Amino acid sequence: MHEFIQTLINGLTTGFLYALIALGYSMVYGVLKLLNFAHGDLYMVGAYIGYFVIQWFGGPQAVSIPVPLLVVIMFLLAGTGAGALGVLIERFAYRPLRTAPRIAPLITALGVSFILENSVLLLFGGFTRSYSTPSFISFSTGIHIGSVDIDSVQITIFVVSIVMMYGLMVLVHRTTLGKSMRAVASDREAAEMLGIDVNRTIAYTFFIGSAMAGVAGVMSGLAFNQISNTIGFLAGLQAFTAAVVGGIGSIPGAMIGGLFIGICESFASSYISSEYTDLIVFGILIVTLLIRPTGLFARPALQKV
Amino acid sequence: MTDAGPAPGGAAAGGASAQPLLELCGLGIHFGGLRALSGLDLSVADREIVSIIGPNGAGKTTVFNAITGVYRPSEGQIRLAGDSIGGQPPHRITRRGIARTFQSLRLFLNMTVRENVITATYGATKATPVESMLRLPRARREQREVEAVAEEVLSFFGERLAGYRWDQPAYSLSYANRRRLEIARALATRPRLLLLDEPAAGMNPNETHEVTELIGRLREELALAILVIEHDMHVVEGISDRVVALDHGVKITEGAFHEVANHPAVIEAYLGKDPEALAEA
Amino acid sequence: MPIGVDEWVAQHGDRHDAGTGWRRAAARLDRRVGWWPRLALALLVGLIFGQLASNVNVETVAVNSLIYAILALGLNIAVGWTGLLDLGYVAFFGFGAYGYAIFSSHALGTGGVGGAPLPSIESIPIVLVAAGTFGAAIGMMSLRVSGDYLAIVTLFVGQAFVEFVNNVDPGTLGGVNGLYGLNPIHGFGGQIITPIGYYYFALIVCAVLMGLLHMLDNSRTGRAWKAVREDELAAEAMTIPTGAVKVMAISFGAVVGALAGTIFAAQQDNVFPTNFTANILILIYACLVLGGAGSIAGAVLGGIVVTAGEQMVSSPTDAGYLFYGLIVLALVLKVRPWRMLGAVIAATIALGVVLHAIVGAISSSAVAGSPGSGGWIGSLVSHWVIVPSKAVGYGNVLYILMICMVFALIHVRERYRLALLVPTIYVAACCWESRLIVNPSITAQILIGAILIATMAARPQGLLGSMRVEVV
Repeated sequence: MHEFIQTLINGLTTGFLYALIALGYSMVYGVLKLLNFAHGDLYMVGAYIGYFVIQWFGGPQAVSIPVPLLVVIMFLLAGTGAGALGVLIERFAYRPLRTAPRIAPLITALGVSFILENSVLLLFGGFTRSYSTPSFISFSTGIHIGSVDIDSVQITIFVVSIVMMYGLMVLVHRTTLGKSMRAVASDREAAEMLGIDVNRTIAYTFFIGSAMAGVAGVMSGLAFNQISNTIGFLAGLQAFTAAVVGGIGSIPGAMIGGLFIGICESFASSYISSEYTDLIVFGILIVTLLIRPTGLFARPALQKV
Repeated sequence: MTDAGPAPGGAAAGGASAQPLLELCGLGIHFGGLRALSGLDLSVADREIVSIIGPNGAGKTTVFNAITGVYRPSEGQIRLAGDSIGGQPPHRITRRGIARTFQSLRLFLNMTVRENVITATYGATKATPVESMLRLPRARREQREVEAVAEEVLSFFGERLAGYRWDQPAYSLSYANRRRLEIARALATRPRLLLLDEPAAGMNPNETHEVTELIGRLREELALAILVIEHDMHVVEGISDRVVALDHGVKITEGAFHEVANHPAVIEAYLGKDPEALAEA
Repeated sequence: MPIGVDEWVAQHGDRHDAGTGWRRAAARLDRRVGWWPRLALALLVGLIFGQLASNVNVETVAVNSLIYAILALGLNIAVGWTGLLDLGYVAFFGFGAYGYAIFSSHALGTGGVGGAPLPSIESIPIVLVAAGTFGAAIGMMSLRVSGDYLAIVTLFVGQAFVEFVNNVDPGTLGGVNGLYGLNPIHGFGGQIITPIGYYYFALIVCAVLMGLLHMLDNSRTGRAWKAVREDELAAEAMTIPTGAVKVMAISFGAVVGALAGTIFAAQQDNVFPTNFTANILILIYACLVLGGAGSIAGAVLGGIVVTAGEQMVSSPTDAGYLFYGLIVLALVLKVRPWRMLGAVIAATIALGVVLHAIVGAISSSAVAGSPGSGGWIGSLVSHWVIVPSKAVGYGNVLYILMICMVFALIHVRERYRLALLVPTIYVAACCWESRLIVNPSITAQILIGAILIATMAARPQGLLGSMRVEVV
């Protein structure tokens, strides 16, 4: 039984990461109707930023500032860094293609993803780097319930993710910016004619989505230690599935989808085989699309003929 | 120039005794709670021209979408020459003999005028890809046949879609010519019933007049039954054997043009209630 | 009778044709000659090239170019003609390669299924039919999901394929180590074992394929595919069974991809899971996008150009041709009038020489490194670019600086753009010489990504495609 709960906890950990990435996908798809394939790579960039912050402050063995402060700085820098990069990408790669047929931004996104992955490869090398988290965060701290362990990294991930998601829901439903986002997602031209600054709204959307992905990248480094330039692609695929299963364009859908995929992956890895997890997640995707093509939460759009 | 259109009621008499070509019985289309159409009875006889009028949102294009299979009927029946066609996929319904044009044009813009028309002959041809790749006799024969069909159909429009235009891409055509091309493409499917969705939309009086004549010619020369959605009452008056008025998904009246045009419910649907009469009531 | 304006415009072509002079005559000939004489001419050029090819390297690159040309042709069917976004295409490539490998090695034998490998005459058709079926199954998914969702699903299929051959049944499929020791293509008494043999084989296959695809293009099937891309709803209303047509498109693409796979496997003599990753998929897309989606000649041209370009980047002497050649080409195409072009080039050279001299005077180690380009280009630029002895960190910084400057170039006002162009080119050249050339494989990937972005931004129809009008 405790193995079940432990698997569940581990699944929630990855699930939150996927949810954070999937949120970015969903938000961007909502406002631009674009599947941003480069989004997963922003997660990777965030992870690298976190790594370099650790190096800057003395390296994992000899951290020169208190660890909680270090983690906060990592989150902040990775978030703003990834967010800024996302805004730049939107500005230079996607904005010129706003009126182009749908296939153009998709192919551009493939190109951007490729360049991001290979630029990191060029600049920092292809070998995996390690956060060496146990050197500065002891895994024995945390909550122990019976024989179930939730270590402090996982607690941090849960807390920060929930706070960010809650903040996002507040933003989307209670602020003017959120209203602008929903308006642009609903009908971009009408929003523009009503005086909403569409370019700025889209830029903010990209910033928030990319920042969340960046923070998720740091979390992944803390939790799993190993980062390389390809983690973005793999995590991106899982988060894609999560966003689609939840209903792309739907924020609650992305959250629930992410947790769902994370938990499924964890259980598949523990009880079936860790080699086939990708195939199993793929199977989930196919089944969902066959039963409910628009995902669990999205409202199917009526097309006027 | 001859004067306005074919005589109304000219061919309608033939429909009385024979089974109608198209029959809608109690047709209903619901989207969740939205009832786009309810309890609609409509029929079109052979070589008859029926117009559907009604304010925007009345459900007129929904009728077309239901007939052509884009929407599946939630209730009621659609019958073509006695056979039920409700729920069949659009391409099969078109092959049975119902062709349509679209309210906002849906041409194959990057293909030439000729290709647009030839593409619509897909259902009438049978050559498999392998036969096409190897230029086997059936493929070659069908290619000649469909090119002849395209010439015939495009020639119907005379000077307007003249020969030199046939190899130009569709996006280079003027608006009126695009509307003609869309009709030509529909004709290439050799329909028995033609559905025209606002054929005169966006046209000046000259072009509108030509459209009226064109519709008459379609009935006379090609022996088609035609169901038309139109807002321009001059056109409706000029072509219709019968007019059907819809509002909020329901038929409010049906009959000859002058009966329907003066029917109080129709006037109310378009213009609203008379405020003085409202104050009195 | 007065003639209408647009009839006059429409007769422009006739007036043009009626002119005198050799240029007009050549244009007339070009219009009258159909596609198959051009194809025959291209085939002839290919054959001559085969005769002239001198060493194994060139021949191998040539075979690879043709393999990618065939891949691009297959991708063109679903993506270029039918407008479906098939991101799992590389799985068909792998399917064909692994299929051939299984039948042409002792893989089945050790598994206890048959025993001896099958002759290619039998195995290749079996693989192609199986690929078509596999493609049809994937195509069925397009019936339930549309557009963007199809992209995700097919992307997953590609991933799943690699996972599958990596993990499932290592006895038969070779697992991580792949399959090796494959029989070469043989039949009719002979077998193909040399690169030049595979070159001629691939050339014939490619030419025949181009011919068949041209026939399809002008047939009812081709028209149906293109109509589905133009407007699926209207196509459905005009008697086209769009579902079946889409499945057919993906299935045909799968067969062509698998065909490329069999040639690949036979020529390589082995197959590994890593041959069919998403990187390869993006490479195939770059070939098609650059050449022109929707155009048969474009697909082939794209395949050849991208593969040859990749090869050029790998060799230090040729990389210089590619890089400086592209810069000069871009300048010639974009900078007008000629005086301005000359000024830009002169300023760039001057800037470099001056900076090199200054920096060299200050610190000799800062210019002690040698440029990555070999040959005469290397010696030419060694006094122009600044390459320090420890070039890696420097090159990294320059890389980031170069990207920032390119962003700025897009952003600034027109009149500052030419001025900013000069230092941008110089920084790019320094970065190229000190860092990018040293890692040709990564540079090649970066260039592929840049091709995708630049093509979509500047010329979405690619080199040989035609401009499309879309109602968005």
